[in-house]
Amino acid sequence: MSSRVMRDFELLLPESIEETIALLARHKDKSAVLAGGTDLLVALKFDYAIDNVISLALVPGLDELDFDSAKGLTIGAKVTIAEVLRSQDVKDHYPALWQAAKVFATPQLRNTATVLGNILRASPAGDCSAALYATGGSLLLKNANGCRNVDLDDFWISYGVTARRADELAVSLHVPAPEKGQKSAFRRMTRTTEDLSKINAAVCLQMTGETCRKARVVMGCVGPTLLRLPKVEKILEGAAVTPDLLRDISNVVISEIAPIDDQRSSAEYRNKVAGVLVKRVIEAALNAKGDDQ
Amino acid sequence: MKKHAITLTVNGEERDLLVSSNRTLLDALRDDLGYTDTKYGCGTGECGACTILVDGMTTINGCLTLAATMNGKSITTAAGLARNGHLHPVQEAFIENDAIQCGFCTPGMVLKTISLLDENPAPTEAEIRHGLEGNICRCTGYTKIVEAVQDASRRISGSNTSAMGE
Repeated sequence: MSSRVMRDFELLLPESIEETIALLARHKDKSAVLAGGTDLLVALKFDYAIDNVISLALVPGLDELDFDSAKGLTIGAKVTIAEVLRSQDVKDHYPALWQAAKVFATPQLRNTATVLGNILRASPAGDCSAALYATGGSLLLKNANGCRNVDLDDFWISYGVTARRADELAVSLHVPAPEKGQKSAFRRMTRTTEDLSKINAAVCLQMTGETCRKARVVMGCVGPTLLRLPKVEKILEGAAVTPDLLRDISNVVISEIAPIDDQRSSAEYRNKVAGVLVKRVIEAALNAKGDDQ
Repeated sequence: MKKHAITLTVNGEERDLLVSSNRTLLDALRDDLGYTDTKYGCGTGECGACTILVDGMTTINGCLTLAATMNGKSITTAAGLARNGHLHPVQEAFIENDAIQCGFCTPGMVLKTISLLDENPAPTEAEIRHGLEGNICRCTGYTKIVEAVQDASRRISGSNTSAMGE
């Protein structure tokens, strides 16, 4: 028998989205939703206790991974990291997300863990979350009263806390269609490849020639949530991206982050490398050949 | 707490069992059904000792899967790889390349290798190392393991057998 045993809980196996929502309405914060379970089961083996686990295993209609050049990308609640990695559309149109999926954890975990689970975990180290924050997107949340869309910009409130209400099911994520000239990339630093990031960064740039029209720059593991870097974005917007500009950006990054010491790295180290990582992720987006990482 | 009646097909054999909500697939395989070739290492999805194949070639960690959510699934463990008294070519390659020291990681390594070669029959060394990132060998015998995977790749492509050895 395993030495790490989960506390007992009631496992509920609804067979439709409606039934899932009804269970959430009944159990609210006395329940946790299980999709891949790679975070939830580990939590249950340590100090987390919950009365009801609502598994999505038998719920149809949550497997959609669909790209349309006008409408954008839809990712259902049960879509795994591995499925995203196998998608040529994601690779072609959302390179930051594809690159994050490629280095995400291990093959076994990629086969189980879901993209939405990564977002809902609300960790400042979430690799796919960082990429999607840069690309932009909104979550479709459903409860017994109806549904609402929450922009990722408003979704992460603090460490492990999101705008999802206890009776809401995250059904899917919508990512806008890429604009013409959109470039994106994801980069991270880790101790070992299967470990969580000690620092990560993602960018999404709208380019006209050498000039950046719009920029979203995201950094992870440097605050209680993933952070956007508004000063860096402002420097980029309207500017030609030259080596001098990248040097300026690199020096500004440290004023926008607040890293701490933890088991994976130190605040000092993160402050030291953050500027370089942002410079490199911008260069990677602009020089993209697709599958470089 | 409520128990769940499930049916699993393990190594081709249908097995009915009754599991608690908090029973992992790994514990159900090992303790309820006797497939002790699947190992418990870390319990948190990092070491890959509990790797199994589900519904074909998808590798997952048995320690992070609730047995009750797996009703109707088909599972392959290392014990189900031999055919007609012959080991799977990946198992033979691991033996002949001395890719086994204590052997604890070997069932997971072998299953992960089978799935890797199914997806990519002729992987580069870098692709092998990336593909086996979820399997830790605490004897640190990685060089021999990589050589075994390369040898297995040659054996399978040379014999025109599928990755399942059939």
